[in-house]
Amino acid sequence: MRHPKTVRAAALATLLIGGAALSGCSAVGGDDVVRLEYWGWGVGQSEQVALWNAANPDVQVRHTDAGGGTDSAAKLLTSSRAGNAPDVALAEYTTIPSLVIADVPRDITDLVADVDDAFTEGTWAQTTFGGQVYALPQDAGPMVLTYRADLLAETGQAVPTTWQEFGDVARAVHEQRPDTVLAAVPAGELGFWAGVSAQAGADWWSVDEDGWTVGIADERMLEVADFFEQLAVDGSIDTDPVLSPEYNKRVNDGTIGGWAAGIWAPSVLGGVAPDTSGSWEITPLPEWTPGDAAVPFQGGSALIVTKNSEHPEEAAAFAKWMNASTEGNQSLLDVRGVYPASIEGQELAIGNAPPSLMPQQTEFYDVAAEVSEDVLPTTWGPNVALATTTLTDELNAAIAAGTPWRDAFVATQAVVVADMEEVGYQVTTNG
Amino acid sequence: MADTALRPEMTHPVTASPAPRPARGRRRSPLAPYLFVAPAVVLFVVFMLIPLGYTIWSSLRAYRIEEGASVLGVRVDRFVGLENYVAVLQDAELLASFGRLGIYGVIAVPLTLGLALLFALLLDVPAVRAKRFARTAIFIPYAVPGITAALLWGFMYLPSTSPFSYVTNALGWGPIPFLEADGLFGSLANIAIWGGVGFNMIIIYTSLRGIPAEIYESARLDGASELQVALRIKVPLVVPALVLTGVFALIGTLQLYGEPNTLRPLTTEITQSWAPLMTIYRDAFLTDDLPSAAASSTILALGTVALSAIVLGVANRRRKEGVS
Repeated sequence: MRHPKTVRAAALATLLIGGAALSGCSAVGGDDVVRLEYWGWGVGQSEQVALWNAANPDVQVRHTDAGGGTDSAAKLLTSSRAGNAPDVALAEYTTIPSLVIADVPRDITDLVADVDDAFTEGTWAQTTFGGQVYALPQDAGPMVLTYRADLLAETGQAVPTTWQEFGDVARAVHEQRPDTVLAAVPAGELGFWAGVSAQAGADWWSVDEDGWTVGIADERMLEVADFFEQLAVDGSIDTDPVLSPEYNKRVNDGTIGGWAAGIWAPSVLGGVAPDTSGSWEITPLPEWTPGDAAVPFQGGSALIVTKNSEHPEEAAAFAKWMNASTEGNQSLLDVRGVYPASIEGQELAIGNAPPSLMPQQTEFYDVAAEVSEDVLPTTWGPNVALATTTLTDELNAAIAAGTPWRDAFVATQAVVVADMEEVGYQVTTNG
Repeated sequence: MADTALRPEMTHPVTASPAPRPARGRRRSPLAPYLFVAPAVVLFVVFMLIPLGYTIWSSLRAYRIEEGASVLGVRVDRFVGLENYVAVLQDAELLASFGRLGIYGVIAVPLTLGLALLFALLLDVPAVRAKRFARTAIFIPYAVPGITAALLWGFMYLPSTSPFSYVTNALGWGPIPFLEADGLFGSLANIAIWGGVGFNMIIIYTSLRGIPAEIYESARLDGASELQVALRIKVPLVVPALVLTGVFALIGTLQLYGEPNTLRPLTTEITQSWAPLMTIYRDAFLTDDLPSAAASSTILALGTVALSAIVLGVANRRRKEGVS
């Protein structure tokens, strides 16, 4: 994450903050200055906001870090009920439906109509419900396999392109190095399960005028569960929580050989095990059907304009600058270190240096661009948080007891459907 | 002060004027007591009664979906009567979490109180040296914030970072299953015992220091050994302190949250509904089902009050029987 470009941009941004502070002083007297509140998490937010403030003396934005995705969403709900939500806020794609039904974001279909072609259809799908746009995509997490290139070379294994090959490689690696696994596939990673099953054709949630369709226990999902269960029973993959101290230690030891996750995974691993830099590479996520390259998203976030905002047009303009302008996308890449959701941002990324975890993989962003060309549209449900805690607990219990993993998905679907019906939705199930 | 104030009045004949001083007193008295209790009452109303009322009010409501501007609909807050209570009381997982608290409590409470009493009695033995140092050393863990303690112990439990497992590994016995199903209750109780013994010891020790020295003197003159003094005199006399610490420990058990929640990312054994308060947190802040959390909270609070009352009632009756 700390590649030289970031540092340079940060230095530039620091200079600009100074400028913004000065212009802020001169603007105090003016009554026509619009002041916006913005909530967002992650590195470089203040620096990026300072870039906007320097260029827009009439619309000054104040940034607050209200915590990561989960905390920030909980605070947004509360502050919106109290009538004092910020004008603009960053929200994870998974939380947007729950925010929409709680009446937090404004319908910004008309306000963002002019940047309609800035994003692919698959990207828009995560923020559009029944044709109405509720958020402007910011960063995207198309799934890739991040793996230890040295491990595969030393064990004489080729980079897997299908999940079948992934299973074979995992077994071979584990056979040669009993204390090493190719990947950890933990119960708590709902995004992983929803993603790999979407790749197989399952659709966890979908919505239209007639109500919701839930497919957490879709037969294709259950087969995916069987596949990974078999690998775990063999000991070829691990099921312990990712990013726990135990996991981090193993990443440093080199006994965790890879991670199938969003494209942000290299940044995370770079933070956990900077000393392993240079041993890693990314490759497109293995396919279920050879030749079917469509990949799902895992993670990522978008900007909402809240109903509480008294300046929705200015708020939308700020969001469009951040996510859909050339300058905004360049700063998303350089100052924020995220992979932009916009088509232009992903094109800009191609020229960038790879993340610090894999300085030798100069084609990193070419792989990313290739993967981003064919993404699966995803719709998240209104109760993703409930699904996450339920699946985590059910799947962990199944792993501990040695019972079939697929039962955990059936149980999760039952809880999710019961909750949705209780609050008043029409729900049909797909499996 | 009172004397000088009274003296001028005493010089007046009582019958001459209609008793000016008592009248002045009466003019003051109606307001004064209210003013004195006002701060306490205001605090009680603002920080106890209003939140309590709001919790009960919330627990009778629920979010329901109505047709809204989008296909997702919009959530409205509606009165649903006792629906949340019915759902909470039928939740087998919540019941199971009380069962887990029971196991935890059976390990943690007697050990905490037993060790606290033991240390207090040892510190109270006249021959013991370095009392101040020992007292402080035993008390210090209580000063460590609960979350810090849980994290600290968490690292000492994880197989790859645990010094204990390092030793057992070196001896060829494999890692100790601190965070597996077998060891989990002991591991959680250990954190609470480590942190709680010092605090409880201070309460019991203070109570011991309050016992008049003459009692010991006469016991020793009668030929009682230190052990007999401890068991026959000191322990019966600090029973009220033991009851107090027992009730604290009981309430602390019912409110168990920090330790399991901190250890949760480290192990797959602890679910999001492992302890009742974890379920309440999940409902209130993760799944945004505040009414359900309010109903569970009300039930947990009522249960805590009832249990504390039973323990205190039993203890009081015992003491009265002991006296009579």
